[in-house]
Amino acid sequence: MKDKADVRHGTLALMVLKTLDVLGPQHGFGIARRIEQISGDLLSVNQGTLYPLLLKLEQEGAIASDWGCSENNRRARFYRLTRNGKKQLQAETMEWEQTASIMGRFLAMKAEGLR
Amino acid sequence: MKHLRRLFSQIVTMIRGRDSRFDEEIEAHIALQADENLRAGMNPQEARRQAVLKFGPVQSVRENCRAEQGLPFAESLLRDTRRSLRRLRNSPGFTATAIFTLAVGIGATTSIFSLVHAVLLQSLPVPHPDQLYRIGKAPKCCVNGGYIEGGDYGLASDDLYTHLRDHTQGFKELAAFDSGGTFLGVMDARSGAAAETYFGEYVSGNYFTMFGIRAIAGRLLSAGDDHAGAPPVAVMSYRAWRDQYSRDQSVIGALFRIDGKPFTIVGVAPPSFYGHSLSNLPPDFYLPLATEPLVKGDSSFLRKSDVAWLNMIGRIRPGSSVAGIEAQMRVELQDWLRTHLSEMSASERVQLPQQSLNLVPGGAGMTFMQLQYGDWLWILMVSAASVLLIVCINLANLMLVRGMDRRPQTSLSLALGVRRARLLQESLTESLLLSLAGGAAGLGVAFLTTRMILHLAFQTTTEVPIAAVPSLPVLGFALVLSVLTCVLFGAAPAWLSTRVNPIEALRGANRSTKHSGSRLRKALVVGQVAISVALISSSGLLLLTLRHLERQDLGFEQDRRTVINIDPLLAGYKPEQLNSLYRRIHDALAALPGTASVASSLYTPQSGDEWDETVYFEGKSAPGPDADSGAGWARVTPGYFAALGNPVLKGRPITDEDAAQSRHVAVINEAFAQKFFANEDPIGKHFGKGGPTYGGDYEIVGVTKDARFANYNLDKPIAAFFYIPEAQSTAYKESMAASTELRSHFLHDVVVEARPGATVTNAMLRSAFASVDPSLPIRQIQSLNQQVSTTFGQQRLIARLVSLFGMLSLVLAAVGLYGMMSYDLARRTSEIGVRIALGANRKSIFGLILRAAMTLALLGLSLGIPLAVGAGRLLSSQLYGVNPRDPIVVIIATFALALTAFFATLGPAFRAASISPAEAVRTE
Repeated sequence: MKDKADVRHGTLALMVLKTLDVLGPQHGFGIARRIEQISGDLLSVNQGTLYPLLLKLEQEGAIASDWGCSENNRRARFYRLTRNGKKQLQAETMEWEQTASIMGRFLAMKAEGLR
Repeated sequence: MKHLRRLFSQIVTMIRGRDSRFDEEIEAHIALQADENLRAGMNPQEARRQAVLKFGPVQSVRENCRAEQGLPFAESLLRDTRRSLRRLRNSPGFTATAIFTLAVGIGATTSIFSLVHAVLLQSLPVPHPDQLYRIGKAPKCCVNGGYIEGGDYGLASDDLYTHLRDHTQGFKELAAFDSGGTFLGVMDARSGAAAETYFGEYVSGNYFTMFGIRAIAGRLLSAGDDHAGAPPVAVMSYRAWRDQYSRDQSVIGALFRIDGKPFTIVGVAPPSFYGHSLSNLPPDFYLPLATEPLVKGDSSFLRKSDVAWLNMIGRIRPGSSVAGIEAQMRVELQDWLRTHLSEMSASERVQLPQQSLNLVPGGAGMTFMQLQYGDWLWILMVSAASVLLIVCINLANLMLVRGMDRRPQTSLSLALGVRRARLLQESLTESLLLSLAGGAAGLGVAFLTTRMILHLAFQTTTEVPIAAVPSLPVLGFALVLSVLTCVLFGAAPAWLSTRVNPIEALRGANRSTKHSGSRLRKALVVGQVAISVALISSSGLLLLTLRHLERQDLGFEQDRRTVINIDPLLAGYKPEQLNSLYRRIHDALAALPGTASVASSLYTPQSGDEWDETVYFEGKSAPGPDADSGAGWARVTPGYFAALGNPVLKGRPITDEDAAQSRHVAVINEAFAQKFFANEDPIGKHFGKGGPTYGGDYEIVGVTKDARFANYNLDKPIAAFFYIPEAQSTAYKESMAASTELRSHFLHDVVVEARPGATVTNAMLRSAFASVDPSLPIRQIQSLNQQVSTTFGQQRLIARLVSLFGMLSLVLAAVGLYGMMSYDLARRTSEIGVRIALGANRKSIFGLILRAAMTLALLGLSLGIPLAVGAGRLLSSQLYGVNPRDPIVVIIATFALALTAFFATLGPAFRAASISPAEAVRTE
């Protein structure tokens, strides 16, 4: 457990939206599990953050939820992306990519190139 | 957008209540994890255990989610409010005391503030009052003769005004108005009813344009109305239109007679407008300056460039430099003075270079009322705030006690993990609820108090344009004050009461004789006593002043005297008719049953009027410009000294012998004799007024006892004064002196002395006047007692209000001390029981409690005495004939407080002495 990083602040929402976009409706456990799997079990999702976040996204209208049945017949709450959420995902993806590319360029900076 | 959507959803949840979806969802999450663990090969028990472990603190996650669903802050506030309300309901005695004392404190302070706001802080109700500038740092009133006024011109002749108006580009408009205002006899020519007296003023044609206000009916004056040939028009105040003419539209365009001259009423000023300044005598008629000669005839000032009688206020062009305009106007003033060099006296010419003027913000108009009431409003504000401070101290003490009583509960809450901030919030909510309730009740108190003060302070026939109903700034003040008091009395107790160690919950609390907070509570009581001493000694000083003023020898009799104020000028009398008019008035009134004597005079003592002149003596050189050779004077009819009960000490009074053709005589007062004839017998000496050439005009025939005429400088000795007969007059060559001489023959006050035991009613007086001339306007009839008491009205009001505040503070201090000692006693019951059980006698227990209380009181007194001395020094400008450091007052105040403190602790001390040891030990 010790070597697993916590999800960086502010990025969990984007991961949740992307997960729901790619995999379709998921329950809370599913979302957490997928994020951990995709990260190659390098990330650990804190449930104390996940559920308030899901609530916040729902209150903001990015996702919606309904009760449903899991694959092994357990009653669980399924979250799905709304139209608003799709727009938000697109906007945030672009923003993130821009930030990442800028950061990438900075980190690749070499002294000679700037002279 | 998304934040809004979220807020909406939170509010919906808050109102609808939460569901249990998270409980189920978390349960499902754990079950799904357990399923996965099972598949990985764990046994069912271990799978469940690991799932829960991985999930983390279930309870806290659930709480977090539940909180996020709604608005946590708002909800906890609501919850706290509900809980506080319940708690306050459970202790009705405390709640009622708190709200009541807060209402008194906040009410008093708010009430005084609403006066401070209306009188001192508010601008005129006109657009952009910040653009208004007036000429003259100090507001100046009335009339100034000659060209020389000094470095701060505040009065101008019409000639100077038009010169400044036409040459100063920086003003959008520069307006002028007659500074003293004037009484007018107004008659609606259509109805033919008798003329009634109204207050009015002459204003320049651009007066209303300058203020930027519009008529509510008809039109206001314009520059076109202010020309010599223009038809005479007048504007009426809204108040007169509403009260006297029931908003009758036909008044506009109607012909009125003002002082007998025909005027067309062209419009009505807006309701909010009360003239150029706040005043207890707002004008009801505005006449163009150009009509002044028409109304005043020979005594007109308009064409006289050496008579300054106008105040000036202008609206500057936005963006222009005030300093620039001021500099330009100073040059213009000098230019103007130089064009009048030939008319000036030699001594005036010498002073020419020092003549200057100042431009100051004029948004509040001519600030006479601010000057008159400013000082005492601040005194009252400080006193009221002191009472509020004492209220806060009292409440802080009560809150502390409540906090202490809740200690076991608080420490238990802390032990169970409640955050300190939450407890603090809860405690402060309670304080805030109390202070807001107190503030709301205080607004009611403030309304009533303000109305009372307005009624007492401005006893006039007309209304003061100050509303008792709280305005928006006053409401804001009350709200801020409430919150501030909440912080003052609530914060420290709240903080202290949450500073308990959770471990106390486990030990039995109440087991110690020392408890935290008691030092603070003692300090609070000490502060309370100190403030009370200062307030009480201040009120003592003010009461002494009042007594001193009221008991001083005014030099005349007040009982059985009635003063009737008339205005023969308004009825159109000519100077040559006056002597016979006053004779007829005398005869008609003297014929009434019960009348002992009757006389008329230019004005009576304490009427508020005052005429001063420089006097010149035969055979003495003319006084220099700085020499004090002024004296007050009045014109009187024969029998005046007898009617006023002012004894003639030497020589003879003015009699019927002093007729128009006989030699001009004067009667002087003692101060006059002392000032100008220190070592000589004044009888038979000569003096005059109006110029050095008149030094031989009057022969002194008598000396009377000093009578106090002026209603200010009451602490100074009575000034020099002389009386001259109505029947005689001097022909002056100088225009100002001639005009003064003319006006002085219009006597305004008729004094009637009733026989002892007899009464002369107002109705009898009125009918007697009607028999002389039914059109003669009577402005006022009042007893001389009333006239004198209005002089001291302001002093009496301050003294009474400050005393009231002082008494309040005394009662509050006593309550505070009593509450403190009672509570301490309750805490120390077992200790005292043990002392008694160990052999302490009742007397020593009694002494123990009394000593503890008196130590606090003495500490408070020792702090209060310097405070009282300081307050006395601040008050010194309001004290007459009383030494602000008078030790007697401070000693009495100290003694009063010590006595109050003693009685407040007697109860608890007796109770302590009668504690039964067995019971005491059992109480724990």
